[in-house]
Amino acid sequence: MAAHALPAAPPVQRPRVLVVGTAFASAAAIMTFVGLIGIYLTQRAAIIGAGDIWLPKGSTIPLQQPNTMLFTLLMSVVTMQWAVHAIANNDRTNAYLALAVTIFFGFASVVLTWYLYGLVKLDISANSQSVLIYTITGLHLMLLVVAMLFIALMAFRALAGSFDARQHDGITAAAVFWYAMVLVYVLIWITIYVTK
Amino acid sequence: MVRFGLCRPECICSNEVPTDMSIIDASPESPTASTEATAAASPDSGTLFGSGDHKAIGLVYVVLSLVFGAGALVAFLLGNLHLVQTGFLSSSAATTLLNASELAFVLLVAIPLFIGLATYITPLQVGANTIAFPRAAALALWTWILSSGLFIIANCLDGGIGGGRDRAVDLGLLALVGLIMALLLATICVVTTVITLRSPGMGLDRVPMFSWSMFVAGSVWLLTLPVVLANVLLIYVDHHYGMPSEFGVSSVQGLQIGWLVSQPQVYAFAIPVFGIAADLIPTFSGRRQPNRSAMLIAIAAFGVLSIGAYAQPYFFPEVRDQIVWAAMSVLIILPVLAMLGGWAALLRGGRPALKSPLGLSLASVVLVLLAVLVGALATISPLELRETPNVTIGQLVLIVAAVLAAGAAGISYWAPKFSGRFATEAPGVLNILVLLGGGVLAGLPLVILGFATRFTGLDSASDALHYVALAGDALIAAGAVLAVLTLASSFRGEAAGSDAWGTGQTLEWMCSSPPAPGDFAELITVTSAEPLLDAAAGSQEA
Repeated sequence: MAAHALPAAPPVQRPRVLVVGTAFASAAAIMTFVGLIGIYLTQRAAIIGAGDIWLPKGSTIPLQQPNTMLFTLLMSVVTMQWAVHAIANNDRTNAYLALAVTIFFGFASVVLTWYLYGLVKLDISANSQSVLIYTITGLHLMLLVVAMLFIALMAFRALAGSFDARQHDGITAAAVFWYAMVLVYVLIWITIYVTK
Repeated sequence: MVRFGLCRPECICSNEVPTDMSIIDASPESPTASTEATAAASPDSGTLFGSGDHKAIGLVYVVLSLVFGAGALVAFLLGNLHLVQTGFLSSSAATTLLNASELAFVLLVAIPLFIGLATYITPLQVGANTIAFPRAAALALWTWILSSGLFIIANCLDGGIGGGRDRAVDLGLLALVGLIMALLLATICVVTTVITLRSPGMGLDRVPMFSWSMFVAGSVWLLTLPVVLANVLLIYVDHHYGMPSEFGVSSVQGLQIGWLVSQPQVYAFAIPVFGIAADLIPTFSGRRQPNRSAMLIAIAAFGVLSIGAYAQPYFFPEVRDQIVWAAMSVLIILPVLAMLGGWAALLRGGRPALKSPLGLSLASVVLVLLAVLVGALATISPLELRETPNVTIGQLVLIVAAVLAAGAAGISYWAPKFSGRFATEAPGVLNILVLLGGGVLAGLPLVILGFATRFTGLDSASDALHYVALAGDALIAAGAVLAVLTLASSFRGEAAGSDAWGTGQTLEWMCSSPPAPGDFAELITVTSAEPLLDAAAGSQEA
């Protein structure tokens, strides 16, 4: 009778270091915007409470571009989750496609923000309202680019053969940071663009 | 019988991989040959710089933060000397020195000192062979060093907070952004290590107290430092791109970030003080900490009650009249008292070894207790303590002294892990008196001066109280220097074994002194919060 050795015990599962670290970084990024938006709302309430209007006369922020950005970024959440789901099922083709579409949506959002800056009539050196709006949206723009670079780095790693159904922490981590940036945009959309 | 009575006999340092059971059976008290060999493998000048090794990174943080601490206290002393020796410095120079030193206390001293200790010790305590994201930890260190240099240069060029030279102010603000980003990155590395790299069997309730306190402190820092980053970004954008219109105006720059060094936020920088004490006291008592879960909860409660990002009087002038602020200021005393009760029970039931780390640690806790008691007094409206900055500065100085005392305690306690040798007791014993005396002398006169708005007779004693406070500042600066000397003395002290004190309870005392590269060869499985005591009990039963 042939002896059958039991398979070796699986190695001890280490928790997902990159995902946890990215979650902490995302929390810190969100708190930066919580601080900025808190100051924005306080300043806005003080000016309106004094019987004045928040945006200086002659200034305008159209809603069409922010709305388009909102739906673009919400769609990017779907495509990012599509990438995570695809790589978790070893479906590399769909993962590559989903990551590329997510980066494209991110790029579209960056372009829209830049276009919006050209439309709004706010002079950064004129008043504190402009300083607040440009600081908040500018920082978000910067972090959105960082998130896109994060996704692109993980996409290149995936193209190089990294990640599979068992281990796809890099893509999950990029997704966590991306979702945080979309959440921040939703806050910005409500506080700056809608309730202006 | 295996060495430490744990679930896995391989739970030893990577440089002690056993070739036969005789090595495994070696007594933990006796330094092994390999331990002696690794004493020479301590981080030296060749490996200290440019390394991703958590031990090298941690050591650089500790040394530099203590040096910066001494420098910041001298700057603080000189700035305050201007108050009693008018004409000693120009007003703008004195303001720059005071603003710079108060920010330095937090960003160049308190947080980096604990980050340094944690970067070195936390991976050893949780049984990991590295810190999480070692290259990010190295990036954080060098960014912090570069930003610290820029911060000092900018202040020398009249470019501190509220400074008069525009380009230098921009440089100073960018340096602050760099400092905060670096410390956030370093904090993420430490906190992620505690969360993800723990040994099997080590639930969060079994994490060593210092690591737990760093997890709590790191979480609070991750929630609050980004808010001060937001303040600094607004100041920078307005100052650099604007006229400035509001945020960047010189006279209000300091007011916007003043909450960082006021209660309750200032307490957040003292959270690891309790973690160090909670690791030290059971070790020197030789007993398990009773009600350990309550101690964990008390440290966490202290952390929660020290979140102060909401309390920004510049934007919310009425915040200190609100019940939340007052309740937090009073309630924060309770976890401190709970911890003191736990340690009193521990010390009373055993025969503690009276070593300098124990004294320093108790001194640091007493200083924090004084700070929170002063904070509670400030909530009593008729005393009018909130209207004076003296009380806030007094609290800050008490916390700085506590942080340095805890840092000195940690350095003496973990010196065998830094150098493979014990630190000399003399500077440590002297430092108990210096830092406790310095903290009390520097902090309490300022608090007494806070009563001057209520009791006008105190005005006549103002100069005398200021001179006493200055003497205290000088003593605290001397304490920082003594802490460096303590660390230096450990490289020439008596050789130490893996469990240097003989009563170690947590995993770092299983590792050789100093730990070899890689720390632990294999994952260690633990079955309680005090695995070394389990092992000792197992050995006695056998």
